[in-house]
Amino acid sequence: MAAWAVLLVALLSAPVVLGEGYELHLLIVSAIFVMLSSGLSLIVGHAGLLSLGHAAFFGLGAYTSALLYLRLGVPMWGGLPAAALVSGGAAYLIGLLVLKVRGHRFIITTIAFAEIARLVAVNTVDLTRGQMGLAGIQAPTITVPGLGTLDFGAKTEFYYLTLAFAAICVWTVARIVRSPIGWGLAAVRENENLGESVGVSAYRHSMIAFLVGGAFAGIAGSLHAHYMNFVSPDLFLFSYTTTMLVMVVIGGRTTIAGPVIGAVVFTFLPEYLRFVHQYRLIVLGAILLITVMLCPGGFVELWERWRRRAAVPAVGAS
Amino acid sequence: MMLELLPQFIFNGLLIGASYALVAVGLTMIFGIMNIANFAHGEFYMLGGCIAFYLIDAFGINYLLAVPLTVVIVGALGLVLERLIFRRLRGKPAVSSVLATIGLGLVVQNTALAFWGPQPRPIPTSFSRLPVQLGPIFTTEARIFAVAVTVGALVLVHLFLNRTLWGTAMRATFQQAEAAALAAIPIDRVQTMTFALGAALAALGGALLGAIFFVHPTMGGTETLKAFIVVILGGLGSIPGSMVGGLILGLAESFGTVVSSAYKDAMGFALVIFVLIYRPDGLFKRS
Repeated sequence: MAAWAVLLVALLSAPVVLGEGYELHLLIVSAIFVMLSSGLSLIVGHAGLLSLGHAAFFGLGAYTSALLYLRLGVPMWGGLPAAALVSGGAAYLIGLLVLKVRGHRFIITTIAFAEIARLVAVNTVDLTRGQMGLAGIQAPTITVPGLGTLDFGAKTEFYYLTLAFAAICVWTVARIVRSPIGWGLAAVRENENLGESVGVSAYRHSMIAFLVGGAFAGIAGSLHAHYMNFVSPDLFLFSYTTTMLVMVVIGGRTTIAGPVIGAVVFTFLPEYLRFVHQYRLIVLGAILLITVMLCPGGFVELWERWRRRAAVPAVGAS
Repeated sequence: MMLELLPQFIFNGLLIGASYALVAVGLTMIFGIMNIANFAHGEFYMLGGCIAFYLIDAFGINYLLAVPLTVVIVGALGLVLERLIFRRLRGKPAVSSVLATIGLGLVVQNTALAFWGPQPRPIPTSFSRLPVQLGPIFTTEARIFAVAVTVGALVLVHLFLNRTLWGTAMRATFQQAEAAALAAIPIDRVQTMTFALGAALAALGGALLGAIFFVHPTMGGTETLKAFIVVILGGLGSIPGSMVGGLILGLAESFGTVVSSAYKDAMGFALVIFVLIYRPDGLFKRS
C-alpha cells in the first residue's frame, strides 16, 4: 500500500519536480505507450494471439482524430471517442475474418492489414496529404464558465490528461484479466481444446481482447496526434509495432505491471543510449531474442525468480 | 496497345515471381518441417545480395563465381543459426518463435546496416547493360540469366525432393516427424539440412535480383512479407503451392502496375486477405 502511495505522489508531482522539460515530454510519450502496450498485452499475452498490426490501430486512431479536427473542426473530446470507435471497429472486422483460425494465419493477416492501412494513408493524398502528413492538430481546451479556461496545449496539463487515460486503460486491463473473461483467456491460451471442452469460447474471448486492445490503441493515437500536433503515415510502420512488442514481452506479457514498466523503460532507455544510437536496434533485437529464448516471462519473471531465490536460498534451480 | 505489351508484363512478372518463389520455398519448407514461421527469412535474401556485392567489390571475383560462393556462405550461416537458435524454438508456441525470429531479423538487418550504410548499390556484373530483344520482349542479359538460374534452381529443388533419398527423408519428416524418426530417419539432421537449404535458396534470389535492381540492408523485411504472402497463397507448408504462388504474386504485381502503381504493393496483401476468407488452406488445396 505504501509503495502505491509513493508511486501516486511521484506521478502527480512529476511536472513540479521535472519542470516542463524533455523528461516530462518523455513521460507523456511513455504514458501513450503504456496504453498501447497494456492493450497489446491483452492480445499477445493474455489471449496468446500475436498481433503484428498494432501500429495500424494506433495510426488509424491518430488519423481519425486529426481528420475530424482539421476537416470538421471537432475537438479532441469528440475525436478521441471516435478514434476508439474506428480502431475498435477495425479490430472487430479483422477479428471476424481471422480469429476463427488462430495461429500463423492470424499473425500474417494482421501484418497485411497494417501494410494496407499504411499504403492507404500514403496514397490518398487528397485526404491525408500522403507522406507530408497533417499538421496543426491542436490540443483541446476546457472552458468552465466563471472559472476560466484550461488549455491542454501546455505540457503539464497534457501530462495529467494522458496519465489519467493511461491509468484508466491499465485499470480496465487489470479488471478484465481478473474477471471470468481473463480466466477464459488464460484457459484458451494454455489449451484451446480443453478450454472449449468446458464451454469457454476461444473465438468470443479472443474477440474481446482484440477489440479492447484495438480501441485502446485508437485512444493512444488520438492523444498522440493532439500532443504532437502532427500525424504522418510513419505511424503505421512495422517498427512501431516492434517497439510495442518489445515493451510487452520484455516487461512480462501475462502481467499487468510488465507492459507498463516495459513502456516506460523502452521510452527512456533509447534517449539515454543516444551515443550508441546506430546500434540501438541491434541491441533491441538481441534483447528480444534472448528474452524469448531464456526468460519468456520478461522483467516480472526475473524479479520473481530473484525474490524467490532471496527468500528461500536452499531451493535449487526452478 | 495494351496487348502488345502483354508478353513484356508476363516476362517481368515471371522474373519477380520466380525470385519470390525461391524465397518462399525455403520459408515453407522450414515452416513445414519445424513449425516455425521464420520472420528473419528475408534477411537471407538480403545477405545473399550484400555478400555477393562484397565478394565482387572487395576480391574482384567474377559474378558467375560469386553467386555460388554466396549461396554456400549463406547456407553455412543457416546451418549455424539452426543449431544455435532455431532448434531451440522448435515446439514453442507461435508467439514465442515468431517474436524470436523478429528479434533475430532486427539484429541481422541492423548489423548489415552498420557495416554497409543505407545507400542502395547494384551488384557489378560482366553482363552487357544494353537491351536484348527476344521477340516482343525487351530485356537485359542479367535478367535472362536470373530467370534461367531461378527456374533451374526450382526444378532442381523439385527433383531433389522427389527423386533422392535425402529429399524423401525431408518429405517424410514434413508429413509426420515421429513416424519418420521411427523409420530411422535422423530428423535432427534433416531439419538442419532443410534450414540450410532454405537459407541458401533465399540467398540465391538476393544475389540474382541484386544484379538487376539494387542491394541494400533493409530489403530483407519486404522480402519476408512477400514470401509470407506467397506461402499463404500456395497453402502453408506446400512446396509446389509456394512455387505457383510466387509466380501468381509476381504476375499480379506486374499487372497491378498497369492498374495503379501506387497500390502495386497492396495487391499481394489484398490477395492474401481474399484467400484467407475464401480458401484458408491456400489456392490449391483439395478438400
